[in-house]
Amino acid sequence: MSTKLLICDDSNMARKQLARSLPDGWDVDVSFAANGIECIAAIKAGKGDILLLDLNMPEMDGYQVLEAILQQDLPTLTIVVSGDIQPEAHKRVTGLGALDFIKKPVNKEKLTDVLLSYGVFTKDESNVEIEPKSQNEQPDENISRVNEEAAKKEDETPLKISPISISSPPRKPELTLSTDLRDCYQEIANVAMGRAGDLLARLLNVFVELPIPNVNFIEVSELRMALKDVEANESTSGICQGFISAGISGEALLILNDSSFKDVASLMNYQYQEDKGTELELLMDLANVLIGACLKGVSEQLDIDFSQGHPVVLGQHRKISELIANNADKWKKTLAIEISYSIENYPIKCDLLLLFTEQSMQTLNNKLSYLLD
Amino acid sequence: MSLETSQLNELHWLMEMLYNIDVGLVVLDKDYKVQLFNGFMENHSGLLPKEVKDESLFDLFTEIPQEWFERKAESVFLLKNKAFTIWEQRPYLFKFESYRPVTGSTDFMYQNTTFMPLLSSTGIVTHLCLLVYDVTDNAMNKISLEKANEELAILSQTDA
Repeated sequence: MSTKLLICDDSNMARKQLARSLPDGWDVDVSFAANGIECIAAIKAGKGDILLLDLNMPEMDGYQVLEAILQQDLPTLTIVVSGDIQPEAHKRVTGLGALDFIKKPVNKEKLTDVLLSYGVFTKDESNVEIEPKSQNEQPDENISRVNEEAAKKEDETPLKISPISISSPPRKPELTLSTDLRDCYQEIANVAMGRAGDLLARLLNVFVELPIPNVNFIEVSELRMALKDVEANESTSGICQGFISAGISGEALLILNDSSFKDVASLMNYQYQEDKGTELELLMDLANVLIGACLKGVSEQLDIDFSQGHPVVLGQHRKISELIANNADKWKKTLAIEISYSIENYPIKCDLLLLFTEQSMQTLNNKLSYLLD
Repeated sequence: MSLETSQLNELHWLMEMLYNIDVGLVVLDKDYKVQLFNGFMENHSGLLPKEVKDESLFDLFTEIPQEWFERKAESVFLLKNKAFTIWEQRPYLFKFESYRPVTGSTDFMYQNTTFMPLLSSTGIVTHLCLLVYDVTDNAMNKISLEKANEELAILSQTDA
């Protein structure tokens, strides 16, 4: 009888990646769920002897799923696979009954090790299946089906982009963000953000709440409007830092609500004097940690090295719209990845915006299409 | 020319370039003792490399607040991140005279600095590299701009 494996993650790309990282020759039936609600339903339907669970999901997140499994005493073994690698997160999930915690991005060896160590998967099974993948029988059928879907998707995506760029040379190509690509960017942002959150958590000794990163290909004017909503009545301070690498360039904006300063200062054990100097120091330190870690996370996943410019103070105690007003006419569209960090039990909110230029999109898409395969 | 000689030449050129480049380069070990000092630092501080090697940074430059510097450096060692300081936050790290002592309008050099972790071959951070950039021109321009804006703001509110 084959084991029933349930993979639960809101990102399509992550689900595919997990499915591909399963050990070879494992007699398993794989199903997928895109959020906590689908996940619980699938477990109740008997599809989840083993659960590979992500933490950041809409509707019902990983923690809530774990709680529900405990409360309803559902028969499943859970292994958490997440980009949120804070030490506190690890503690919480094991406290809620998860077997183990694997850091994203996942690779086959790591997953096999964990599965072996919990006796869920035994090496004997792997020795049996020595035939090449093309002669797959029943057990591997599901996985190969997933791979085929993934391969098909990969064929689709390049097709979406190439005709557009070949079509009319005199006119600049219109770039659009297919759902697959957006999903990909979201996943990359997820891992990078998890890394940054982890560093911040260690530095401040708190639990950082990580949201789902918001990825959008937007016009500049939309950016300003979106930000205007963020700070309807509050004033904020911002720092921006440029980064560039072969073919990819952009800026990272860190925007912190002025009301959060005092709390962040106390967390970082600063002698808080309400003067511009201390606040600037604080902003700089936060920026160093968050932007540095995020960019590092992105660069590791895309296998590139970023040069970072010096951070520039956009303005202290000013309206956000003023901060971006100056460059509005230079670029039309940007790939914006928005991550809003907040810290548990403190009214601290800070927004990290990664903005990639239009020209970077081409290179980024190329790099990602190899990740999507 | 053999491979070794050409490699040695390259290394020699690299050292020459690092020495002459118009950016300050300081390498510190975990105890904040100076290991490397380039030409920029030497000329602006008036200290010879042999005077500074293995000396504590804080003994040599008393204007650097030890606690603040150590806290910044600790986060670099711990998180393997680069850290930056800008002149708006702290006008200078090292108190050097400006490049234009006669025609310039400021006593000291405004600096941006970068703290870079240096990894050993085993991947752990053993040394810290400080890059010191002279941004006096930028700073002066921005300060005069802000002053001018303030004056304009006042003028626009009062009747001439």
